[in-house]
Amino acid sequence: MSTLLNISQLTWQVPNKAILQDINFNVRKGEVIGIIGPNGAGKTSLLRCITNQNNILANTNVTGSVQLKNRAITKYSAKEVAQHFALVMQKNDTIFALSVQDVMKMGLLPHKTLFSLDCDHDKAQINLALKKVGLEQALKSHFNQLSGGEQQRVLIARALVQASQVLILDEPTNHLDVFYQHQVLQLVNKLNITVIMTVHDLNLASLYCQRLLLLNQGQLISDGSPEEVLTPKQLSQVFGLPCQQSIDAMTGAIQVSFYLKNTDKQQNQYSELVDE
Amino acid sequence: MNKVATTLLALTVLVILSAMAAITFGPADIDSSELITCLVSSCQNPIANVIIWQVRIPRILVALVAGMGLAIAGAILQNTTRNPLADPYLFGIVSGAGLGATIANISLADNLTIALPLAAFLGALFSVIIVVFIAKVLQRMEQLLLAGVAVSFMLASITQFILYFGEPFATNRVIFWLMGSLARVEMSNFYVISSVLIVAIITVIALHRQIDALLLGDESAASLGVDVDKLRLLMLGICAALTATIVAYCGGIGFVGLMIPHIVRQLIGVTTLKLIIGSALIGAIFLIWVDVIARSSLPHAEIPIGIITSALGSIFFLFIMYRSRAIS
Repeated sequence: MSTLLNISQLTWQVPNKAILQDINFNVRKGEVIGIIGPNGAGKTSLLRCITNQNNILANTNVTGSVQLKNRAITKYSAKEVAQHFALVMQKNDTIFALSVQDVMKMGLLPHKTLFSLDCDHDKAQINLALKKVGLEQALKSHFNQLSGGEQQRVLIARALVQASQVLILDEPTNHLDVFYQHQVLQLVNKLNITVIMTVHDLNLASLYCQRLLLLNQGQLISDGSPEEVLTPKQLSQVFGLPCQQSIDAMTGAIQVSFYLKNTDKQQNQYSELVDE
Repeated sequence: MNKVATTLLALTVLVILSAMAAITFGPADIDSSELITCLVSSCQNPIANVIIWQVRIPRILVALVAGMGLAIAGAILQNTTRNPLADPYLFGIVSGAGLGATIANISLADNLTIALPLAAFLGALFSVIIVVFIAKVLQRMEQLLLAGVAVSFMLASITQFILYFGEPFATNRVIFWLMGSLARVEMSNFYVISSVLIVAIITVIALHRQIDALLLGDESAASLGVDVDKLRLLMLGICAALTATIVAYCGGIGFVGLMIPHIVRQLIGVTTLKLIIGSALIGAIFLIWVDVIARSSLPHAEIPIGIITSALGSIFFLFIMYRSRAIS
């Protein structure tokens, strides 16, 4: 697999704090990467730097380089960046009654010139993308009236219309119930494009990501497969809680659980579980 | 799409019919056969000729483009700030124009035909610059409107201070101008407003996808390759130019920009292209008929048009608040 993205020596320093510290990694085409770590570890900041949001790399506090296809991302225009990266955000604030179709049409923007109108090809593309996320009947529905999971799926479909090579998701499972969490992540996995996402739930990350990046206090602590990254030693160091690792009987994926130090009873229960 | 196209077509027909119907209204008695002769060939009666071609038609045409312009300005502001209550009036643009007009009126005794609109335009531009500057310092989109309201009050108080100590005749002139009227408009005003309007419409149509992208939040728009700050500044500038030009000739006509886009959203859609075209058409129809009311409801006097739009606008405002309460 060819290298798509190269992040090297990326550092973001603000007074008295390093938001990101000497981050180095490559992203190969087709990988599904999960960025994990505690709150304030720099996960979202890393995403912002990768996509050069608001031209953040031009900021004097940010050093290092992000290269997309062996060319510095700062050399790409905002439109070109949008042609490569599609972003699905945590929060969408609109008060107007946008239809799903209106939201989907936004995805066409990076490929349109001034004055351009929609053509039949655009409509076909929009329908195809909605079909892929299982929402083809929702074209005329109001975006605000959809459930959280459906909204996420519409935004993923919008990213497909955007025809980008990398899908960036910031906490895609936030505010979703268990069913939608699995549905959204399963969908993301099936799309066969490169995905970089921040994930809070380590067990979901383990189940759906081929590769995990563990961040803590702006540093990249570990980079590798779920088996390599989700070790009890590393996790208990980062999250400050004792941690147990197990193999899920159904999926064969690594699962981790944490417990508070002072409850011996819980600790015994967890040990028993692992022993079994 | 078909339904939208049909609605827009019907509205276009309605604009033309409204403009034609409005020619028949006015204090002078001109019967319909005379009117048709005047429009189609040439007038037998020279007085009717003057009334129709130099009074009524310029006035209707200015009402048409002013209604379009004010409604479009409101629509652009609402979509670019994601705030359904945004309106050129609330951004301090009208108070700025009022201050400019006041200063021109008090300091210059004559030559007001050019100086008054120019001063109003500069005043409006001045207020927008202050509002943008404040919003830029605060770095908060939600506060753009609050900054506008604050600036609006500040400029209005300066205006009132000047008027209080000003010469009574000049003061009178300004107060009547602030109430808004199409009584003194001429064909040249129509040309000036139309040219600004055309530039504004072309720019908005060119950038309609960018403006649409803002509807789901700044971050979303930025991820689609939109330079959010630059776009918003450009749109604010266009609204200021549009409103200032109209206010300069017609005085204070409030609430058109607030009301019309709301109606269009219900009727046609929320995305920029539909909203702009719909607002232009409904805005034109609205102002043509409000002007008809202004000049023909009282037997020997005119009601300033701004009084009527403000009265309707404030009721509309309360209606929106009531409805949003019912929804939430």
